[in-house]
Amino acid sequence: MILTVACAGAFALGVYAVLVRREIIGILAGAELMLGAAAVQLLVAGSEGFAAGASSFALILLVVAAAEAVVGLALIVTAYRRAKRSRIEEFGEVSG
Amino acid sequence: MSAHDLAVASAAALVLAGAAGTALARSATRLVLSLGAFLLGVALCFLALGSPLLAAAQVFVYIGGVLVLVLFALMVVGRGDGESPRVESRHDAGAALVALGLFVVLAIVTPKGPSAVAPPEMVSPAAVADVLLGSGIVAFELAGVLLLAALLAVLVIVKGGGER
Repeated sequence: MILTVACAGAFALGVYAVLVRREIIGILAGAELMLGAAAVQLLVAGSEGFAAGASSFALILLVVAAAEAVVGLALIVTAYRRAKRSRIEEFGEVSG
Repeated sequence: MSAHDLAVASAAALVLAGAAGTALARSATRLVLSLGAFLLGVALCFLALGSPLLAAAQVFVYIGGVLVLVLFALMVVGRGDGESPRVESRHDAGAALVALGLFVVLAIVTPKGPSAVAPPEMVSPAAVADVLLGSGIVAFELAGVLLLAALLAVLVIVKGGGER
């Protein structure tokens, strides 16, 4: 119960960070919050009779989150090296 | 309150405190420290839920790998004037309302798990391997392909194309 509430809180704080942060790296940290909270919640939900399966899928979720973080950081560093831009407003040309 | 309950409550508190710091910190150093606390809290949650393999993977991959990468990226990108780089935010009521509504909905609808006071049975790495190499083999192989794709993507992003 307490872990579910903590996960919900961490996920909501991740969404808040994605919405309000101006630096892209802060947005990426918010995404990490959401993925971490989802992994713990997956384990909580599967802890009654499906623990091994839940652990397996949480492990795959960790792999996905790590790949996302590495590609995101590479994009951030490359964008800064090439154009000296790191804030979300400075990428206006990719907006819809 | 048993020792296991205390451990779960401590892990949950660390998760929440780390998440709050990551979302609200103004200094990049505090953001990284808070993210580290959050990731450590997640690892403790994994341990409390009976999955030492996941806890170890979380510590090695995230705290030892991703967190250091985030720190390096912050040092490259930071625009501080000799001090800790700032991480700016534009706080507004709408975003806070969305996050609060999401918190309420998630806290109500997500499964709560067992309410047992006894610590859960430990999931051995062999049991996880049985699932991954049995019914979860497709997901396991796809995760490998994803890692390879991510590696190639990083190489292309950082080295490929050159200045345009």
